Amino acid sequence: MKTMLRALRLSAALLASAAGFATIAHAAEPLRVGASFIASGLDPAKGSNGWALASHGIGENLFSVDKDGVLVPELADRADRIDTLTWRVTLKPGRAFSDGTPVSAEAVGAALTHTMANNKAALATGGILRFEAEDPLTIKVTTERPVPLIQALFAEWPLIVYGLKADGSAVFSGPYAVNAFKPDAEIELVANPHFDGAEKRSPVTYRKFADAQALTLALEAGELDLAFGLPAESIARLKNDPELTVKSFPVGYQYLAYLNTRQPALADARVRRAIDLAIDRAQLATAIHGGLPATGAYAPYFPFAGKAARPTDATAAAALLDDAGWTAGADGARQKDGAPLRLTVLAYPQRPDLVAMLPVVKAQLAPLGIAVETKIVENANDVAASGDYDVFLWAQHTAPSGDPAFFLNSTFRTGAGLNFTGYSSLDFDQILDGFANESDPAKRAEIAARAQEKLFEDAPVSFLLSPVWHVGLSKALAGYEPWGSDYHVLRAEIGEAN
Amino acid sequence: MLPARITLRTVASLLAISLVAFAVISAMPSDPVAIAIRAWNLPPDGATVAGLRAQWGLDRPFLERYGAWLSRFVRGDWGISFRTGEPVLQEFQQRLPLTLTIALSGLALAPLFAIPLGFFAALHPRGLVDRATRTLAVFVQAVPSIWLGLILLYVLGVQMRWIRPFTRDWTGLVLPIGLIALHSLAVLTRVYRRDLLEIAREPFFRTALAKGLGRGAALWRHGHAHALYAMVSTFRAEASWAVGSTAALEVLFGLPGIGQFLVESIAARDYPVLQAYVMVVALWLLVLNAGVALCLAWLGPRRA
Repeated sequence: MKTMLRALRLSAALLASAAGFATIAHAAEPLRVGASFIASGLDPAKGSNGWALASHGIGENLFSVDKDGVLVPELADRADRIDTLTWRVTLKPGRAFSDGTPVSAEAVGAALTHTMANNKAALATGGILRFEAEDPLTIKVTTERPVPLIQALFAEWPLIVYGLKADGSAVFSGPYAVNAFKPDAEIELVANPHFDGAEKRSPVTYRKFADAQALTLALEAGELDLAFGLPAESIARLKNDPELTVKSFPVGYQYLAYLNTRQPALADARVRRAIDLAIDRAQLATAIHGGLPATGAYAPYFPFAGKAARPTDATAAAALLDDAGWTAGADGARQKDGAPLRLTVLAYPQRPDLVAMLPVVKAQLAPLGIAVETKIVENANDVAASGDYDVFLWAQHTAPSGDPAFFLNSTFRTGAGLNFTGYSSLDFDQILDGFANESDPAKRAEIAARAQEKLFEDAPVSFLLSPVWHVGLSKALAGYEPWGSDYHVLRAEIGEAN
Repeated sequence: MLPARITLRTVASLLAISLVAFAVISAMPSDPVAIAIRAWNLPPDGATVAGLRAQWGLDRPFLERYGAWLSRFVRGDWGISFRTGEPVLQEFQQRLPLTLTIALSGLALAPLFAIPLGFFAALHPRGLVDRATRTLAVFVQAVPSIWLGLILLYVLGVQMRWIRPFTRDWTGLVLPIGLIALHSLAVLTRVYRRDLLEIAREPFFRTALAKGLGRGAALWRHGHAHALYAMVSTFRAEASWAVGSTAALEVLFGLPGIGQFLVESIAARDYPVLQAYVMVVALWLLVLNAGVALCLAWLGPRRA
């Protein structure tokens, strides 16, 4: 009996080993990734799942923004305009979903039609889109509203591509496929066998950490190979750990200050330009433990970003105020017609960096003779829309789909939905009109540059910082290069050690 | 009669709470549509705003929304989460068991240890157990459990590497449950001890000693029921405290319970989730109050 039991145990052990080798050819242990966010579910048409699934390396779009901030084809090969509302999109040949079914024109059309019907966020740019498969790799797309650059529309996160199965579930085409999913907790990912290089790709366990300190501790405790989005205050300590590598990277979310042109003191562009010149962006970066002085509206990695950091010149700022009639009294305080130059500067707590910047801004404006009252408001959008502020520190992703037009159109065009500054300039609007019919990215970048120059001149906004985020890496993922904000945490190449 | 009265009061309270909560949540600063548009980087044009408002039912008058929500809620349809797009009831069903496991395990462990510790503290006032439990009570009242958890994570998980606090098996629950238990244990121990010592000052206690009972036996026979009554009363407050602390510890330990879900839902002004959370917590507290009331009614006659 004992011999029989021993034989059974031995057989079981051998079988288990064989099964292990068969299923995990390249890595016994999955790579462990931690971040502060995770997909809410696997239905790509719900909530913001489209963004999260692409970020986790599970799904892909027809077009995407690459590490240089360039809008590039992903599942599509090209898009050509037929007329104002009609485009022809050609798919790349040989692409397949993780169940082996091809990424066909019919599948793409069915998936995106399903998304359009179930997620209003998908209608934001072009309205309802209609898809017609002309052949297995060609789709005719008709938009409800004119779209100057449909590549940018198809790079928007709601328009992730998937294969819609009969039971309503979805299969995706990204480098990773979902093996198991626990909502709000973790996703077990395996290499998508139908994506190039699958044999070199280790499985990944992606975990959510709602608390940034816990994320840091998990990395330090050796429980993570990649910690995405580490708090800035922990970076110095982590850099002293020889087992870890810390990398920082600029992100698309920009920090800026809206200057309310409807307020009497700020109605004069010279006063606004003076404020813009008075701000020392290097000091702001120090206050938030990182970040690059802004060059304009966009993060520096975008091809349409400005090249030179915005200048600081307190003397020129003082001269502009003098010129505008705001003269300094014996106590240094500026006055005009007996009224002091007093500004209310706001920030909101959902972006702690902005709150940290408030006292620095106050300190930088004080030597100019500008009295500043700082306030933190919970309901940023409501307050900004009400116009009850002078200066509002703000965070905004200014090119989420790799195109410069959206931010400028929605924020500074006369009467635009997010035009909180009350800025109105016919010249500026005419520059923006150039986006409507221009599809060439280089020419769109030129339009963006002209628009930014006009904003520098009129100063309804002061571009402050391009913040940086931080990732912590174990030796297993020391080759990981972060880019693309939180849109591409996992992707085909994550720098796995051999 | 008592259970029927408690049930009636519970239902009436839940109705009142639901209406007040609905009004407060609807009046929260910041519009969920504006937050979603910013968080999801959507163009803020009128069509997008109107589409999301209609999809989430925010384009209807307050009372109509409340009536629709209430009639659906009692039928088990808790609405759809703005943030995740999933049914709220399903979201709660996935997360509530973990939250209840942490809260109830911590709360259940506390009296198990509080009774013997409180008893020994009362048996030997100013002795080792008495002084240790007093120090513990002061410590847990002064230090938030999330801070203590952070320190324990750093010392035991990072420096010592004695534990793997972020594992997904049952061992990952030991620290959060222990932290819930520790707070309640310290408080309940002191309450139990205090009431035992109160009894020890009564004339009938001295009579019991004069009759030859030992101090320990006399305390147990004449003081335990009285001290237990006080401890059960205090347990109600501890259970309320556990609601908030469990949420904080879920965030700290990365546990996918309802507390962590709530924190993100607050930021997104996810009305259906917030309303459901208020109802679940209200139900938890009302059921607990009813349980405590029944317990006290049962214990009451025995005190003398």
